[in-house]
Amino acid sequence: MFKKPTLTTTLIVIVGFLTLCPVIMLLLGSFSADFVSFGQFTTIKYVEAYTDPDFAAILWNTVLFTGGSALVATLLALFLAYVNTRTDLPFKFIFKVIAIVPMMIPHILFSVSWVLLLNPSNGTLNRLLMDLFGLKEALFDIYTLPGMILVEGLLDLPIAYLIIAPAMSAFDVSLEESSKVCGASNLRTLMKVTLPVLRPAILASAILVIVRSLASFAVPSVIGMPGRIYVLSTHIYRNIATGFAADFGKAAAIGMSALAASITLIYVYRYLTSESGKFVTISSRGFKPTMIKLKKGKYPLFIVVGFLSFILILLPVMVLFYTSMLPYSMVPSAKAFAMMSWDNWTEVLSDPISLLSLKNSLFLGVVGATIGTTLSIFVSYVIVKVRSTASGILESLSFLSFSFPGIVIGVGFMWFFVRTPIYGTITALLIGYIATYLPYGIRPISSAFVQIHSHLEESSRVCGATPFYTMRRIVIPLLIPGIVSGWILMASMFLRELTLSVVLSRPGTEVLAVQILNFAEDGLWGPLSALGIIMIFISSILVIIAAVLGKKLSKMEVMN
Amino acid sequence: MKKMLVLLLSLVLICGSFGAALAAEKINFYANITAIEPIIDDFNSSHTPGAIYTRISTSKYLATVLTEFSAGKLRADVLQSPLPIMQILKEKGVLAPYKSAAAAGYPTWAQEDDSIIQFGIEYVAPIYNKDLVKPEDVPTRYEDLTDPKWYNKMVMPDPASHATTISWLVGMKEAKIFGDDAGWMKFLKGLAANKPMFVKSFGPTPAPIESGEKVLGISMPKYIISKAPAPLAWAKVDTLLGTPRGIAVAANASDPKAAQEFVDYWLSKNAMQLLASQVGEYVLAPGVFPPIDGISTVKVLPIRSLSDDEIRSWGKEFRKIFYEK
Repeated sequence: MFKKPTLTTTLIVIVGFLTLCPVIMLLLGSFSADFVSFGQFTTIKYVEAYTDPDFAAILWNTVLFTGGSALVATLLALFLAYVNTRTDLPFKFIFKVIAIVPMMIPHILFSVSWVLLLNPSNGTLNRLLMDLFGLKEALFDIYTLPGMILVEGLLDLPIAYLIIAPAMSAFDVSLEESSKVCGASNLRTLMKVTLPVLRPAILASAILVIVRSLASFAVPSVIGMPGRIYVLSTHIYRNIATGFAADFGKAAAIGMSALAASITLIYVYRYLTSESGKFVTISSRGFKPTMIKLKKGKYPLFIVVGFLSFILILLPVMVLFYTSMLPYSMVPSAKAFAMMSWDNWTEVLSDPISLLSLKNSLFLGVVGATIGTTLSIFVSYVIVKVRSTASGILESLSFLSFSFPGIVIGVGFMWFFVRTPIYGTITALLIGYIATYLPYGIRPISSAFVQIHSHLEESSRVCGATPFYTMRRIVIPLLIPGIVSGWILMASMFLRELTLSVVLSRPGTEVLAVQILNFAEDGLWGPLSALGIIMIFISSILVIIAAVLGKKLSKMEVMN
Repeated sequence: MKKMLVLLLSLVLICGSFGAALAAEKINFYANITAIEPIIDDFNSSHTPGAIYTRISTSKYLATVLTEFSAGKLRADVLQSPLPIMQILKEKGVLAPYKSAAAAGYPTWAQEDDSIIQFGIEYVAPIYNKDLVKPEDVPTRYEDLTDPKWYNKMVMPDPASHATTISWLVGMKEAKIFGDDAGWMKFLKGLAANKPMFVKSFGPTPAPIESGEKVLGISMPKYIISKAPAPLAWAKVDTLLGTPRGIAVAANASDPKAAQEFVDYWLSKNAMQLLASQVGEYVLAPGVFPPIDGISTVKVLPIRSLSDDEIRSWGKEFRKIFYEK
């Protein structure tokens, strides 16, 4: 469509600049004998990092944690995406929103909510079950590896959902119809036709969740550390925290293994989806996704989905609201209900720093996601449609910053930005956010791109359309579900971004997540929960606006 | 395509002006101590142009300050952190010499250094939930924490990785709280046998105690003030230990006189009174105590600054004791 080599090179330069700079600084830091990126050369940090006797056990825990989280998130996303896009389940709109709610919640708060629900001493759900069934001991213990996997899987569910749902909705019905004509049941068609064709989206979601959970710190620190279960990110933290002179160079040395794992996963993904023609479902023949009639199964399935959504997602949010009304952490009791007030809300809404944070985060969410999504469209185009060695490099580059554990990459950006005039400004945050979370835009858009046959662009060109006209009138309208997903993922991520912000934000550029962290470090769970709910509310509004706008744009283009 | 990319870059650059304005003339105060807004507000109400508080967590403090310093972009005019960090900063040439007259009444050991003035102690104590622990069960000695009745009922920062907790445990050995090393080791093993829940630092210790998930913990008495009306109280052992907190003027302060003025204010009885009464901090200004029952009479001792090598070495030892299966 465009002059492909020029486009690929330009994008490699832009994306490479954005993501390589902090990684190079971290690489330098990992070989520096000093606390900063430039110091006397040493390999001692690598030697110490990889000869630690605990490292093998930590790697095994990490494999189980990331793999388990990817499994939970992807299976749940597949189920929810299927019922939401392909069936006549009632009140689907609600479930569509519920599936992406965890994306809007600060991870530390979601983890704490689950601790309040399922800790073995006095977790509310555990107590309820003990009272109901006369049990002597708690049924569940959140401070275990399965507990960590459940919570991380739920937190990453929106990533998986927002990648799989657009692919599911763009599915060409004729493939399934052919299967049914040949006598296959709905289930067999799903297993033999639908899921195999969705392989790029399923793999993309699993890989993204693995990479994200590899970098995750909230769940491993809030749930894993009390259970004495260490994964890579908490192992890095333990290395940094043991001593006052935190050595981020050594942390970077450990983080290099996460980077290597992520790049390997990207190449595995490219190999497994290399025959892209297999996954095309939108060609010049036209398509229309069909709804499967659930008939008698409609309401039982509604109850199942509703119950799952309530237990897994709504209940933790309700715990947040409950906490926001209390002066301190309390289990539900008559005393707790008597002490409820709006004091935390008043405190947060009258705090000038919280209000400034709100304004800055909103700006970063809207502007950052818009720039990030635009860049992602071009990058996805090259990754999917060019498929050369250079496009493989571009894809790997886009994952570089994303692959590093959060507590490390923020320092990499600080080491880089401090040498530029934008250090301490909101632009530094904006660039850091886009560079780090580019895969959130690229993955859903790429998954949607994979399904569009190049015949469509070729036909447009044959009719005399310019590349831009073809992009605007043919490709982008078909990509709108993917673009909306990418924008939502980026905007809600930027609204609650913590790991970079905590290092880069300065007076005047405070953001919501840093304010939340400050409340968390002071143990002020009431104001923290209130601010968290405000964050969820703002994200929800943005999501609804994006979804409605996406729907309108799709319709307009179809009418034109 | 090119137009589109130029547009993108322009948008990013335009954003550069947004929020970039920083009141450069104000005193920049980098601190790891939290909840000090009342003191900054009080300073700003009586001093022009005032001060800006930049909060930096302990784990990122040194990395941030040294990165900015080595790039010639350290924004801080005044720095505050635990003493071991301040000592590293002094070694690296980040701090300027300054002896404040406002520290005149402070203990001699707190003002021996020519750059760093120690103004408080990050004091640690057994904290309990007074709604859930009966008065007769409240520990009165550290040894009481090893009583099996507290099995699975305690919370503390990870003694294998949290630097302040490691220093505190070593400080108990050096202060001979248990008489001899054998007594100290018996305490450690007894504490470990009670399987305390580990969290990453002191910050998350009060929440499980106030919610009743745990009833007792090794935490900080300041939370009794900052988390009121949570049912928290401290077990009145006879000696408390903690890492000293230091403050100093930055070597490259944009206005050294203004920075010194801020340090003088910080060390004044008025500011220390605010720090004690509103934040619950233990301060070294004579006659100033946090409004916590019994704190004015308890012996509070500063612990020795351990080097990072010592902290790592002790961390490994404590891992063997506390992580034993």
